[in-house]
Order: sequence, then structure tokens, then C-alpha cells
Amino acid sequence: MREIINMIVVLSLICAASGTLLVNLKRATKDKIEQQVLVNVQGPALMSVLAGCDNDPIAERKVVDGVTVFPAKREGKLVGVAFETAAAGYSGDVGVMVGFDLDADRLVAIGITTQTETPGVGTRIMKPAFLKQFKGHKVDSLALSSKGGDIDAVAGATYSSSGAVDAVRKALTVYKDIKPQIADLWPAS
Amino acid sequence: MSSIKKEFLKGLWDELPPFRVVLGLCPTLAVTSTAENGLGMGVAVLFVLTLSNAIISALRKIIPGKVRIACFIVIAASLVVAVELLMQAYTYSLYQKLGIFVPLIVVNCIILGRAEAFASKNPVLPSIADGLGMGLGFTLSLTFLGALREGLGSGTVFGVPVVWESFQPAHFMIMAPGAFVCLGVILAGMNAFNRYLSRKKGEPVTEPQNAVCASCAGCNLCITGKKEG
Repeated sequence: MREIINMIVVLSLICAASGTLLVNLKRATKDKIEQQVLVNVQGPALMSVLAGCDNDPIAERKVVDGVTVFPAKREGKLVGVAFETAAAGYSGDVGVMVGFDLDADRLVAIGITTQTETPGVGTRIMKPAFLKQFKGHKVDSLALSSKGGDIDAVAGATYSSSGAVDAVRKALTVYKDIKPQIADLWPAS
Repeated sequence: MSSIKKEFLKGLWDELPPFRVVLGLCPTLAVTSTAENGLGMGVAVLFVLTLSNAIISALRKIIPGKVRIACFIVIAASLVVAVELLMQAYTYSLYQKLGIFVPLIVVNCIILGRAEAFASKNPVLPSIADGLGMGLGFTLSLTFLGALREGLGSGTVFGVPVVWESFQPAHFMIMAPGAFVCLGVILAGMNAFNRYLSRKKGEPVTEPQNAVCASCAGCNLCITGKKEG
């Protein structure tokens, strides 16, 4: 009996000590990890859709209605925003970073952040030939050409293409919802 | 002092983890497509192994024998999660490249093997020396294998071009089969070298299998091998 109690006590103590250590470490590294994920996963796409901004969009990000919005400023004035949306592609979600130009009320560009599409087939949605179709696109009536829109799907990768288009369409809805509040969030300095 | 030095040095050649004792092959084969990945993986193992050896050795008198494996695993797993968090926070790109193989350090046989065979029976200082030596041997082996594969497969080492211009990189070497081929050639080379050394000293040639079993308590393989031999 004593042996069993001894085993239980020692193992519990070791587990408790490990748990305490890990909880504290997790807390201590949380902000740093969040920053790293933003810089490494969303950063490259973010920079390509907010070209020409002179601020740090990652540092000035704010959460609006549950969406993390990155602002683009030029000479202290807010000129654009970008945020990430996702929709189902062929195998898993296609994450798309979408940049908007506030003055022209148009898309700046889009960039794929996360995807698990078939290499060499579905992944061609990450090529400029597909992505450039979104450059400067107006913010309504965006659809694949097979559905009466003006975006040509990648041949042989219709599901992946429509995943990307669906994600952008979601972004358009979000953009219309949050647009009235945006100017107040990042006042011109 | 000399015994601590001995414990440290044995991990560097006599019981070199991946090439002599042939332990921890999963990360050895999987992540060594570049020298940098091999080095990163090796340092992560070095860190976990040294600390787990130190902690297990310090707790060896209070850990009950019947639940020792569970205790070892809890300690190793906590250290691995700690390493994972630190890698995510400070070397995110390396963390992305090593992927699943960082959490898999928990079940790496080197960690549990050293805990069971050494740290649970020896004082703290020799255990730390043992962990450092084994970890360093593992790091050097992985870096060497990574450099070899990267050099042959992409023509670079640590991202720096090392080959002449007309060299055609063999992509085969950075794929999975290349890892097996390189490992086999290295193992054969080391065995041949050890035989040469023994012969030069005039000692009887020891079969690699027995040399490997020098530190283990005596598994079935070893006992039957010795009986026959």
C-alpha cells in the first residue's frame, strides 16, 4: 500500500511541476510566437498586397468584428487595409490575404497565405497568372467566369480556384461591413 | 574527473548515437536534407538530452522503480514542449522546417535510452557529461550527414555553394533514399575504419555488434550474440 501511494505521489508531483513550468513558459512566449506567426506566415503575403505603405501593418493591426485588420498608411494617412479570409478548396481551406485601396474602393491585390492543395495542380493558384486577375478589381460582382464572372479558373484546378474566389468574396463582404468604422480606428496623424 | 571526461568522450566516437549505436535514426534520416536542419535538430536533442539526464539523475533516488519509465517520459516530454515553444518564439523558420520531428524527440530512443541506461544509475555530474557527449555526437553526426547530402544534392553547405561549376547536383541525395544511401556508406566506412584501427593495434577484430552493446545491460540480441561468439 505504501509503495502504491509513494508511486502516485512522486508521479503526480513530477507532472504538477512539469505542468507549472509549461504553463508559465507558454504565457511568457505567447506574444513572441504570435508575432513570429504573423511575420512568417502572413507577412510575405501581407507585404505583397499592401505595396507602397510606409508604416508597419503588423505592429498597428487591430481586431474589428473578429477579423484582424492590417492598415496601410502613406505619410501618416490611411490608404488601405488588408485582412485574411479562408474558404474550402480541394483539400482543406485556402487562406487568402486581401488588400483593399480605400480611396479607389478597389482590390489592391491578393496573396495566398495557407493552402494544402495538390502540388503542381491546385498550387498553381499561387502563380501570378491567376493572382494578377484580382489586381485592381472592383469590390462587387467577383466570380469565376464559369459562373458569369470575370476570373478565369486555373485549368484542371477548379475547386482550388473557386476556393480562392470564395475566400475573396467573403473578404468583400467583410470589407463592406467594416468600411464605415475603418477611418476612425486609425486616425490620420 | 577523468571518469567524467570519459563519459563525455564516449558519445563522440565509441558510442556515437546514430552511427555506432544506431539509435535515433528517425530524425537522422528525415531532417538531414540540409546541414542547417541537421544542426538545428541536433542542438534541440542536445538540449533536451542534457537537461533530462540532469533532472532524472537528480531525482533517481526518489523515483519509484515501477513507474520510472512514466516519470522519464513526463520529464522528456515537458522539456521537448519547452524547446518547441522556444523554437517557435525565436527561430520560427527552423521550427517550420523541422516540423513534426521536434515533438517526436519525446520518443527518440536516445533520450529514454540514456535515462534508463545511465542517468538513473549515476550521479548528476557524470550524467550531464554523458548527455552533453551523446548530444554533441548526435549534433555532429546530423550536421555531417546533412552537409554531405546538401553538398551532393544541392551543391551547397549551409547555403554556401561549395562545388565546381560543371557539377550537376543529384537531387536523389536530398530525397529520402539518399538518406539511406549516405547512412549506409557512413556506417560501412566507420566499421572499416574501426577494424583497421584494431588490426593496427594487434587486437582481435571485434564484431561491430559487440562493440555496440558495450554500454547496455544485456538485451537478448547481445546475450545470444555473446554466447555464440
